[in-house]
Amino acid sequence: MSDVIVTRLPNDVGGLSAAPIDQSDHVLAPWEKRCHALADVLDFHKLINTEEKRRGVEALGSEIVGKLSYYERWAVAFANILFQKGVLTPEDLAKRMREVERRLAAERGDSPGAGI
Amino acid sequence: MTEARTNRGHDHDHGDPHAPIVADGQPSYYEIMETAIRELLVERGHFTAAEIHRQIDLLDSRTPALGAAIVARAWTDPAFKVRLLADGRATVEDLGISFYDDTGLVVLENTPEVHHLIVCTLCSCYPRPVLGLPPEWYKLKPYRARAVAEPRSVLAEFGTVLPDEVEIQVHDSTSMARYLVLPRRPDGSDHLSEAELAALVTRDAMIGVRLVELPQGSRS
Repeated sequence: MSDVIVTRLPNDVGGLSAAPIDQSDHVLAPWEKRCHALADVLDFHKLINTEEKRRGVEALGSEIVGKLSYYERWAVAFANILFQKGVLTPEDLAKRMREVERRLAAERGDSPGAGI
Repeated sequence: MTEARTNRGHDHDHGDPHAPIVADGQPSYYEIMETAIRELLVERGHFTAAEIHRQIDLLDSRTPALGAAIVARAWTDPAFKVRLLADGRATVEDLGISFYDDTGLVVLENTPEVHHLIVCTLCSCYPRPVLGLPPEWYKLKPYRARAVAEPRSVLAEFGTVLPDEVEIQVHDSTSMARYLVLPRRPDGSDHLSEAELAALVTRDAMIGVRLVELPQGSRS
């Protein structure tokens, strides 16, 4: 039954059997709304369009798609697509993420570098 | 992408894991990633921080109340309805509701014979300019997987049971083609104004999973 992992990419779920629908709503966290706004702005500036974003999520593979939340997948897909397009490098992003983590920790009053 | 620190481990089960709500406000690895990407692109001049803020405000301004106003107008203005069904986007834009993207809008009219249901099986495409962001269940596998194969049982989970002779048409959205359901105006609503009608129209009715109903006791 390994053919299904080729014929069905992670996003291609139409027609599969699945669980009952959980109708509870989820209010977006502030960062999730920022992530959505970022997606729109990336599209407006022709950096990443909707279709590229969808394919970028699919390219994460079913394990990551299954384990990350909706906007977590978007963030990782944006990073990978921007690397592929040469807009950012992995080093740029890793360095900035360390800086952001330290800055946010300092703003919260934690000891610098705690938990890193 | 080698040091992904995940924030899993909360113990309830649903199709789409989300980060646990953290009380101490410590940002997740992915929140830090989003912030870092955004800051780098702003610094390099790809766009401005103000554009992100404006887009957040725009997203906040889009709610199902816009779609409900469009529906109520279509119920009360036959010429508007004809235009709306012929060219959804242009007719909505004529009302002063801007489309902030390249998407088209097809409005699908429910009738006694045909009931429409919208879905995005591949991800979460949705008529955001007129309904805002989609509900969580619209983005998750159970709805996406089942709406196209067993729409009647999906509708039943929302409490919507249609007679067998009503045909259900399911419309799978794409990155460019978005749909909005024009629900049936409820019987006994002739005395209501356009604004009163709009107040009856729910997000779920414009997705097609519920019908528009009069509140108990208000039939005349």
